[in-house]
Amino acid sequence: MARVLSEDGSTKAGKRISHKTSVILAFVPIIVLTGMLIFLFSPYGQSLINVGTPLPQVTIEKIEFHDNQILVFIRNTGPMDIVISQADVNDRIQSAAIEPSSKISRLSEATVTIPFPWIPGTPYEIGITTSDGTRFSKSVEAATLAPTPDANQALLFTSLGVYVGVIPILIGLLWYPYIRRISVGKYSFFLSLTAGLLVFLGIDALLEVNEIVIENLAAVFNGQALSVMVTISSFAILLYTSERLTQRAIEKSVVGKTRLSTPSSSAGETLNQDRSYTKNQKDEFYSESAKGSASTREIQIQLQKYQQLLKPLTISMMIAIGIGLHNFGEGLAIGAAMLLGEVALSTFLIVGFTLHNTTEGLAIVAPIAKSEAKRSTMIRRLVMMGLIAGVPTIAGTWIGGFLYSPLAAVVFLSVGAGAIFQVVYSLISWISHHQKPKSSPYISGPVVAGFITGLLIMYFTGLLI
Amino acid sequence: MRISPMLIGVAIISTAVAVIITIGAGGYKNINSVLNASQTSDPDKESNPKVVGSHTPGYPIATTSGNILDPLQTTEDGDPVDAVVDPMKYLREFNYGKVSRSQDGKTLREFTIIASDNLVKEISPGVFYNIWTFNGTVPGPTIRATEGDIVRINFINNGSMPHSLHLHGIHPANMDGVFEMISPGGEFTYEFTAEPFGVFPYHCHMTPLEEHIAHGLYGVFIVDPKAPRPPADEMVMVMNGYDTDFDAENNFYTVNGVPYYYMHHPVQIQKDRLVRIYLVNMLEFDPLNNFHLHANMFDYYPSGTRLQPDELTDIVTTNQGERGILEFKYKYPGKFMFHAHKTEFAEKGWMGTFLVTEGNESQKSNPANSGIFYDSLNNTIAGKSPVNSGGQL
Repeated sequence: MARVLSEDGSTKAGKRISHKTSVILAFVPIIVLTGMLIFLFSPYGQSLINVGTPLPQVTIEKIEFHDNQILVFIRNTGPMDIVISQADVNDRIQSAAIEPSSKISRLSEATVTIPFPWIPGTPYEIGITTSDGTRFSKSVEAATLAPTPDANQALLFTSLGVYVGVIPILIGLLWYPYIRRISVGKYSFFLSLTAGLLVFLGIDALLEVNEIVIENLAAVFNGQALSVMVTISSFAILLYTSERLTQRAIEKSVVGKTRLSTPSSSAGETLNQDRSYTKNQKDEFYSESAKGSASTREIQIQLQKYQQLLKPLTISMMIAIGIGLHNFGEGLAIGAAMLLGEVALSTFLIVGFTLHNTTEGLAIVAPIAKSEAKRSTMIRRLVMMGLIAGVPTIAGTWIGGFLYSPLAAVVFLSVGAGAIFQVVYSLISWISHHQKPKSSPYISGPVVAGFITGLLIMYFTGLLI
Repeated sequence: MRISPMLIGVAIISTAVAVIITIGAGGYKNINSVLNASQTSDPDKESNPKVVGSHTPGYPIATTSGNILDPLQTTEDGDPVDAVVDPMKYLREFNYGKVSRSQDGKTLREFTIIASDNLVKEISPGVFYNIWTFNGTVPGPTIRATEGDIVRINFINNGSMPHSLHLHGIHPANMDGVFEMISPGGEFTYEFTAEPFGVFPYHCHMTPLEEHIAHGLYGVFIVDPKAPRPPADEMVMVMNGYDTDFDAENNFYTVNGVPYYYMHHPVQIQKDRLVRIYLVNMLEFDPLNNFHLHANMFDYYPSGTRLQPDELTDIVTTNQGERGILEFKYKYPGKFMFHAHKTEFAEKGWMGTFLVTEGNESQKSNPANSGIFYDSLNNTIAGKSPVNSGGQL
C-alpha cells in the first residue's frame, strides 16, 4: 500500500515540478543549515545559547611505568582548549614535563612524564591539574615495569600468543574425525553447541567493550554507540562478503566445468534462495529456475554439489575469521593487562583463554565435518583455518602490550562481536538444512541441548579468567 | 577457488590489524619520543631539552622538549606572573597606618581595607583561582599597632556580596564584624583600642564562613606590648591552603600565599641574629597545620600574649585560627628548611628555606634592611619611622 502511494505521489510531483526546480529545492536545506550554523557560532548566537559554564575535561587514557619514570597519556575531552599546570602522584605534587605542550586543544593528546622512583607492586594514583585548579585522577592497582618494544618482549608476547591462541585451537581441530562419524542428531547438537559457544563469545566481547568504554574511554567518543555501530556494520559487511564468496565460487566452478554460459543472476538467485528453510520450497525454486533459464538438469546437480561443498567451508572460514578477530581481542586483553600491571589478572587471562580456546577449534570443525574432500586437502584447510583463528592472538598481545589504545580496543572487539554474530547467523541457517523433514527447521532436542551446553561450557571455562 | 575465501579472510584480518596499528600509531609515536627524549636533539627546536626532577640530589630526572610542570624548581622567570601576593614583600611588610594623636592624647592609627571578590590570580605556577581579597592580596595586609593605640579601620566593600572585617582581640560587640555585614558598595568604620598585645588573625565573617575564609579573606593583626620586645628580624608567616576544585579538600598548601615560593627564593637571615616570626594558621578544611624548623629550636609564645615563652621546641602544631610567636637564632650558616611536618601539606607546597649568612653589625644598620625590625620608640620618628617603612593603608 505504502509503496503504491509513494509512487503515485512522486509521479504527480514529477509532473508539477521541473528538474531544475527540484535541484534548486535540494540545495535550500543546505543553505538554510549553513545560515543557521553561522548564526549559532556568531557572537549573538553564542550569547543566546552559552548559558552554562564550560568545564574542562581531561581523560587519562593510559599510565605506564618505566625506569624511574611514570608516563601519563592524557587527552583533552572537554568542550574547550585547556592548559595543564601540574601533575601529582598519590595527590602529592611532583615535578613533571608535558609533551608536546601544556596547551592541549580539543580532543588532542599529550604525554606527561613524571620522574618518580616508583616501587613495583604498589598502587598509585596519578593526578593531572588544569589551569583552573581542577584535578583529574586515575588509579593503577599495582605498578609494573611497562614492556618496552624490544626483541625479548616481542618473543615473550609471541610465545604467549602461540600458547593461548594457536595451540589450543589446533588441538581442538582434532575433534574433526570424531564429528565426521556421528549421526544427524548428534551433528545438530555439535553445530548448535558451536552457536552457543559463539553467542557467549559475542556477548562477552560486547561486555568487555562496555567495560573499556566506562573505565578508559573518554565520554566524548560515545563508546557504547560506537561499539554497537561497529558491531552492526561488521555483521552486515561480513554477511555480504561471505554470501558473495560462496556465490562467486559456485559460478566459477559451474562455468568452468560445464562450459555453458549461465546467466549470473540465475546462479545468484539460486544461492540466495538457499537460505529458504524447507526442502519443498527449495525444490520448487530449482525447478522454476530450471525452466526460466537455459540450464540443464546437469547444471543443477553440479550447483547443489558445490553448494554443499562450499557453504560449510565458507561458514567454517567465517567462523575462523570471527574467532581470529575475537582472539585478537583476547591478545589485546592479555597484553594490556601486562602493560597496565594487572599481573594476577594476566595470569588468569592466559590460563582461562587457553582452556576456552580449545573449544573454538570445535566451532571451526563442526560445519565442515560432513563435507566430502580429500584427506590431505581437508587437513591443509583445517590447519589454515586454525592459524587464521589463532595467530591474531599474537598480534593482539603485541599491540595490547606495546601500544594499547582504548579506542582501538573498542573498535576491534566490536568488529569481532559483529563477526561472531554473523557466524551464528550462518550456523543457524546451516543447522536448518540438517533437520529432519517436517520438524521445525530450528528447534529440536539436540539443537536446544547443544546451544545451552555451548553457553555453559563458555561460562564455566570463563570462570577461570 | 578453494583458496580465495581463505585469502579474503587473511586480507580482512590484516586490514583490521593495519587499522589498529594506524590508530595506535599516535600513542606509539608518543612513547618513542619520550623514551628517546634524552637522545633526540631536534635541531628545529630552539630550546635545548629541559631537565625536570633535579631539585633533590639522587632524584630521578627526565628531559623534555615540551613544557615543564614543576612548582618546586621554578626559576625566577617561571614564578607566577600575576601572583596572589609577592611573598617576599609580604614577609616583612608591616603596616602601621596613618598615625595621628587622638583628643585624649592616644596614638590613633588609621587603616583602609577594601574587600573584593572578583580577582582571578595565579596561586601556583599556571593555576588560576578566583580569590577574594582584602586590599588585593592573599593574605591581606599585616596591620600593626601598640597596645592602647586607637585603631580605626575604614572598611570598603567593593565586592559583589556582603563582607565584613572580624578581628580577634578585645573590642565592643558592634566592632566585632559579625552582626553588621557591609553590603556591596557599602562602607563601615571599625574603631577600638588595641588590646591585649599579641598576634591575631582577622577575616571576613560573612556566611558561608568557610567559603569566605577559604577564598582568601584574611590577614594578620599584630599588637605590640607597650614595652617593646627585643629588636629582631621580624617576619609574618600565614599558613593557608587553596581548594581549587571545590571538593572541600585543599589542593595547595602555602606559607604566605604561593606554594614552594621560599624553596626557590630562600628567606635570607643572619647568623646569631634574633629572628621573630608571627605565625598564623588560616587553613580551612584541614583541622590542623604545623610549622617545623630544621636544625634549630625556637621559643614559642602561644598567641603572643605573654612575654615568657611556653616552650623550647622545633615544631608547633596549631588549629584553625590559632597562632603564636616564634623566636630563634641560627648558630650555623647555611641553608635550612622549614615546612609543615604534616608532610602531605609540605608535599603540596608548604615548604621553604632559610639561607643563613654570616651577619655583622654594619649589615644591621644597612638601609636595605630598614623596616625589617620594629622598635616602638620609632613610632613618631620620621625617616626610618614605621609610618613610612610599612606603607600606609
